[in-house]
Amino acid sequence: MKLFTLFTSLFYLISITLATSSSPNKFEQYQSLSRLAPIQLDDSSYDDLTSKPRDYYAAVILTAMESRFGCVLCREFQPEFDLIARSWNKGSTPDDFKLLFGTLDFNNGKAAFQRLMLQTAPVLLVFPPTIGPYARVDDSPMRFDFSGPISADQVYAWINRHLPDGPKPPLVRPINYMRIVSGVTILMGVVTLFTVLSPYILPIVRNRNLWAAFSLVAILLFTSGHMFNHIRKVPYVAGDGRGGISYFAGGFSNQFGMETQIVAAMYAVLSFSAIGLAMKVPRIADKKSQQVAVVIWGVVLLGTYSFLLSVFRAKNGGYPFFLPPF
Amino acid sequence: MAESTSPVDALLKGSSGRSARGLLRIIILVTIAAAAVSSRLFSVIRFESIIHEFDPWFNFRATKYLIQNGFYDFWDWFDDRTWHPLGRVTGGTLYPGLMVTSGVIYHILRFLTIPVDIRNICVLLAPAFSGLTAFAMYLLTNEMSSSPSAGLLAAAFMAITPGYISRSVAGSYDNEAIAIFLLVFTFFLWIKAVKNGSIMWGALAALFYGYMVSAWGGYVFITNLIPLHVFVLICMGRYSSRVYISYTTWYALGTLASMQIPFVGFLPIRNSDHMSALGIFGLIQLVAFADFVRGFLPGKQFQRLLTASIILTSGLAFVGLIVLTMSGVIAPWSGRFYSLWDTGYAKIHIPIIASVSEHQPTAWPSFFFDLNFLIWLFPAGVYMCFRDLKDEHVFVIIYSVLASYFAGVMVRLMLTLTPIVCVAAALVLSYILDTYLKTSPGPINRGRSSEDPSSEALRSARTPEVGISSYFSKAVTTSATIVYLLLFVAHCTWVTSNAYSSPSVVLASRMPDGSQFIIDDYREAYYWLRQNTPANAKIMSWWDYGYQIGGMADRPTLVDNNTWNNTHIATVGKAMSSREEVSYPILRQHDVDYVLVVFGGLLGYSGDDINKFLWMVRIAEGIWPDQVKERDFFTSRGEYRVDDQATPAMRNSLMYKMSYHNFNKLFPMGQATDRVRGTKLPSESPQLSTLDEAFTSENWIIRIYKVKDLDNLGRDHSNAVAFDHGNKRKKTTKKKGPRVLRSE
Repeated sequence: MKLFTLFTSLFYLISITLATSSSPNKFEQYQSLSRLAPIQLDDSSYDDLTSKPRDYYAAVILTAMESRFGCVLCREFQPEFDLIARSWNKGSTPDDFKLLFGTLDFNNGKAAFQRLMLQTAPVLLVFPPTIGPYARVDDSPMRFDFSGPISADQVYAWINRHLPDGPKPPLVRPINYMRIVSGVTILMGVVTLFTVLSPYILPIVRNRNLWAAFSLVAILLFTSGHMFNHIRKVPYVAGDGRGGISYFAGGFSNQFGMETQIVAAMYAVLSFSAIGLAMKVPRIADKKSQQVAVVIWGVVLLGTYSFLLSVFRAKNGGYPFFLPPF
Repeated sequence: MAESTSPVDALLKGSSGRSARGLLRIIILVTIAAAAVSSRLFSVIRFESIIHEFDPWFNFRATKYLIQNGFYDFWDWFDDRTWHPLGRVTGGTLYPGLMVTSGVIYHILRFLTIPVDIRNICVLLAPAFSGLTAFAMYLLTNEMSSSPSAGLLAAAFMAITPGYISRSVAGSYDNEAIAIFLLVFTFFLWIKAVKNGSIMWGALAALFYGYMVSAWGGYVFITNLIPLHVFVLICMGRYSSRVYISYTTWYALGTLASMQIPFVGFLPIRNSDHMSALGIFGLIQLVAFADFVRGFLPGKQFQRLLTASIILTSGLAFVGLIVLTMSGVIAPWSGRFYSLWDTGYAKIHIPIIASVSEHQPTAWPSFFFDLNFLIWLFPAGVYMCFRDLKDEHVFVIIYSVLASYFAGVMVRLMLTLTPIVCVAAALVLSYILDTYLKTSPGPINRGRSSEDPSSEALRSARTPEVGISSYFSKAVTTSATIVYLLLFVAHCTWVTSNAYSSPSVVLASRMPDGSQFIIDDYREAYYWLRQNTPANAKIMSWWDYGYQIGGMADRPTLVDNNTWNNTHIATVGKAMSSREEVSYPILRQHDVDYVLVVFGGLLGYSGDDINKFLWMVRIAEGIWPDQVKERDFFTSRGEYRVDDQATPAMRNSLMYKMSYHNFNKLFPMGQATDRVRGTKLPSESPQLSTLDEAFTSENWIIRIYKVKDLDNLGRDHSNAVAFDHGNKRKKTTKKKGPRVLRSE
């Protein structure tokens, strides 16, 4: 590897000294700036890089990394773009096929942003070559607009579509050794801890009440639409337009985060009244307190169920059923 | 059960009492089955005996093919009338259980000289099987509880709960129609096998599992739930020879049975979905071995060594499975199943799965809508299962947690949740009724748990049970329960009648005077196709309508609801969402004769193609990202519009033009309104140059266009240039050269 690096740099040196036209060695000059990562550009180098004639492809991402611009997408995508550049520069390409990766941050390239009239970032531009075997008649850059979080694979596929056919280096994600090592360590730690503490942990693990609580919480969460909140990323509550808060979303297939919690609480109350009636009450030895318990559980059940029905009626217009209190 | 001295009780006591109760039980079950069947007949009574929706039309068509050509031809069926020009190896890519079942019923009835049309068998198959499901539910719940009423309650719940009715009304001739019966019955047999440790029950479970595999792709649920049950039992230290016998029998026979279905084939040993079953099969051998050896090993050290080696071996086997998956010997999780765990996966990678409305997550009103008060009895029932935690109760708990997760992620899987909700709710409700309906106070003998107040038991079950003393408490609780039950019946009837009994092929609406107005545009249009087009005319439409066109119009289609080939669907999406100059070559290359669109703008029918249009664009963009762009269909302010401010891409797309072609002529000048989107339309009708309007149904829901032939040159000057372009391309394909799938 080292020998190869030495050789290539030697080759660059020779080619730079031998080259006569300005364009061909522009490529090597830029490539030597940054061997693996994308080249950090500023206004002047951006203009130089994209100026005609060029015999290489150039993929430049225009981005705004600084936190004051609040461009989350830029910061999220930058490592992915670095990954693309790295994979490309490490991989082997046909000899005469040249592609440069560059990054132009808004701080260094305000003029370029203004010239392109960019309102949003990031934007990926791919400039085709104007001379050489892959030159295109239409040498205007291809533009990739980001509409949301996107992975390197998708962008790389898009870039590849605009490059001429032929073998291209695959996108290689570096193996996160740190994660593997830490994962193994944590696993072994947990196993050790468990073995050492097993006299104390086992009774907890085998506790029936704990498992019952765990299962019931899971069931209540899922049946009250928690997964819907998770997938659709619904708001927790919303205003009702008059300065107040509306706890229940209108419409049958619509809900708020808090709404599901209220519903889960109602289900829980109803379930526990049912459990109370079924299991607790028959175990009360005193007759008087048993009767009081029956009445209390019964009223709680009726009241909550009636409220649940009224909420459901509000969500589903035309639902005809109700129970007295609400 | 009863201890009073009324004369009726003479009948219910002793040996005559047993048979009387048995008879009563049979009568109740038959009544429940009758209720199950009759509550599913709303659509037949309101409309007619008709196959519903989309997928059932394919199943119906396949059943007819089976009846006409026999079983072996059906097995080898290559269908060249769908997915033109690719065709579909239908015999090898469907679950044949449903069709074979109705075929067998048809032949039995014929043998008994009862002439019944195959359509009526198909329409009524789902209600008939729902009666059987209620019976299977009775058996399953009886295994869970010692109460005599639990099974009957569960059967009654299962019979009328909308969560199950939604998929089994008369005419909904879909795989789920028989699959839920098989699911419940397989679980019953499995519980029986675990309880008795009997090879016979295990083999029967395997047999019905094989039937289930042949009937529905949801069999994977059983394939994973039973191993999970066994795994949890092993982890709880409840390994026994009963578990070993039943699991190994079930796995060996069940896997062999499932491999007989061509569509499944070698998946049980090559696919990650099935690996948990295989892994547990290996694990249980190790555990059995350890259990066997342990008897001969005296020293404690040896036993510890044995346990360690078992854990090590299973760990190694697990790593081996992972390595095999990584290296590709074992296929990774299938997309549909994987998207249950990684909920964002389908939306990014498989838009065709994400686009289906029954694959959306479930909001809480749907749970209540489908299960009513069972939904809050459900957690209570699960809690009851913790009371005397036998092997079968572990099963209920695992099933409950898993199925409620699945039902939360996908609306459609409410169907797998419903059986266990009925079981759990019946457990708790029967317990309440048993406690409060006993006329005399006194402890009820209910197994061991109430007698051992150890720390193992549940917190609420530690003190002994004394029963209910006052009649007032009994009366209050019983009457409240009866009110809730009556409310449940009313709810179920209302939901079934209002939400789940529309065939969606025939629509009904109310006139201002309250009378019913039947909208029969679909069948009108499909019969127009059947009678006015050559038998080989290729119809292009969005994939939703493929099965219906195949079933009702009997014409070849380009894509249908099978959705096995995403690229082909994207081709249709591209044709629909591109300009005419782009679409026309695509239409010619695929021999399309007619294009069918669904348009609801006149009637306010919201399930039309313009509302589905974004999915066509998205799916097409997945294949041709630089030719079709979703963003082009939104205005600069991010709105999806069809009026004057619609984007050029929208206005020039084939779909838009076909939908609104000549629509404004129905209205006075400049008054054209789209009643679905609620917007005014441009005053000028879009100009179509490559298609001719062939048919528009009564309420404009279906519009059919004929693709113009190439010979009409020079009729439209503005498009002449574009047509020259298309003409040149076409000449190569007209000479019957090798067919090219798409132009790029």
